[in-house]
Amino acid sequence: MSQSGKAAGSSLEQLAAASGRDFPNLLRARDATREGLEARRAALGQLPHQDDVAVVLMGSWGRAEVTAGSDDDFMVLVRGTDRDDVHPSIAEVETILDQGHGDQGMFGEPVASDELIGRIGLDGDTNTNLSLRMLFLLESVYATREDLHEAVTAELVDRYLDESVKDLRVPRFLLNDVVRYWRTMCVDFAGKERQGPEKWGIRNAKLRTARKVLFAGGLLPVLECSHFPRDEMPAFLLGQLRMPPTDRIAQAFLTHDASDAGGRALGAYDDFLGRLDDKDFREELESVTRDTSKESPAFRDAARSGKDLERGLLALLFETESLPKLARDYIVF
Amino acid sequence: MAVSASSASRFSILRSHHPVGASTGYMYDLRGDWPAQVDQAWQVSPFAIELSALAEEELDSLVGYLASGPRLPFRYLSIHGPSKGRSLPEPALVARLGELSALVAGIVMHPDTIEDTAPYRALGRTLVLENMDARKEDGRTVDELAPWFAELPEAGFCFDVAHAWSIDETMSAGADLLDSFRPRLRHLHVSSLSPELHHLPLTEEHENLFMPLLARCRDVPWILEAPPRNP
Repeated sequence: MSQSGKAAGSSLEQLAAASGRDFPNLLRARDATREGLEARRAALGQLPHQDDVAVVLMGSWGRAEVTAGSDDDFMVLVRGTDRDDVHPSIAEVETILDQGHGDQGMFGEPVASDELIGRIGLDGDTNTNLSLRMLFLLESVYATREDLHEAVTAELVDRYLDESVKDLRVPRFLLNDVVRYWRTMCVDFAGKERQGPEKWGIRNAKLRTARKVLFAGGLLPVLECSHFPRDEMPAFLLGQLRMPPTDRIAQAFLTHDASDAGGRALGAYDDFLGRLDDKDFREELESVTRDTSKESPAFRDAARSGKDLERGLLALLFETESLPKLARDYIVF
Repeated sequence: MAVSASSASRFSILRSHHPVGASTGYMYDLRGDWPAQVDQAWQVSPFAIELSALAEEELDSLVGYLASGPRLPFRYLSIHGPSKGRSLPEPALVARLGELSALVAGIVMHPDTIEDTAPYRALGRTLVLENMDARKEDGRTVDELAPWFAELPEAGFCFDVAHAWSIDETMSAGADLLDSFRPRLRHLHVSSLSPELHHLPLTEEHENLFMPLLARCRDVPWILEAPPRNP
């Protein structure tokens, strides 16, 4: 993916101009992402690669929102079937990407594209497989082998846009998987809370903000597919997926004549991202539990940002000219 | 948003807006009875409420009511701070308001009643400043509000649409207010005004007149400062 999110005239910058609301933290994070990607691509490019293997960066890298506390979440992607001997291996990549993997171990093994694409639905589509597929689709960026990343993304989009898709209709198969993943994240949040209160605050804050951006950044392009005949949908979707989720969302606010609301919604997210770059704020969020959340100014700030973001997105979906009709027809059932 | 005259008479942007709530400021008969005011506001909308302590003597009972932990259905809760009957020294008043800042989304103040901005900075993003009507001598226009926001950079903006109408019936001044302060917009006050500039239910004529500005504010709660008009 060629995304750096900093191209002049990005949708986010256009929204800033239209709404009178700057997004300094998001744009600074895009700069940090671009600089970090250049360094990582140069270093990872020195590792020997098998022809069908790529390294993909995930999470804040894919959203172009890298801050001081961002992890180097990465996936070693194998185009085709799973096998044992993959190079570069996870261990080889970790000699360069050493900022930690998060706590789920989801990226601890190479990922075969046949698993991501061939196991959608039914028992074989585990929680991990669903998560990897959606994170790959919605917030990933190539670290090595751009061509492989593009090819697997296109194969995955083709799988979703199968023969069931009709001209000028929302592709329900993809819509359902995007919605399913958002709901899975919400349910898993509750599941993790039952395992223990650790990191409740930061998880909750991210569910209200970054995860919501991830979901909306998938949902909105899928709804917009209804403007295209079926054979034009893949190109539209691939174009959208090359942009950071905040650009996809900004574009939707602009398209639907809701730039003021968009400025406030993404402005709230920009505020949150800026605060997350502050070590004390982040540490306070990481130590907050449900019991202590009402006394935490950092958590209250994060919750307020999440609500402002959500209100803007709900206004976009339910109080603009055409999206409410699609939302009613497709989002609930 | 372009709406033809004939369709405008049928379409109600107010009725199509979900995040709506009532101000208890118009519930004169229930003054002092917070649970009864909450019940009446809930009949208007379970989404939002603005608990109004316009007279300073109401503030203690409001603080006590909220400190008692009432079960409230609302997703957006703001309070309107005192603008009448002021006797407390400003630092003491702000400290009292500060006791509520963790419990509410916004504390609305009239800028023309603020003598010293310094204590108010402690309210941070919870503080919300409202544009004033034509009777006031400050806080009415962009030029008059800008210095207040310069002094209180974290404060939000409560756009009182009827107050903007009172200073310019073309709503051009209202559009200027939105253009200048839209990034900090938190909620709206919505009503019509009597010739004496008292809040009245929003008329159909005013709803149509205000519609272009209301359409720019579809993401924030609209607080009704008078009972909703009958359909």
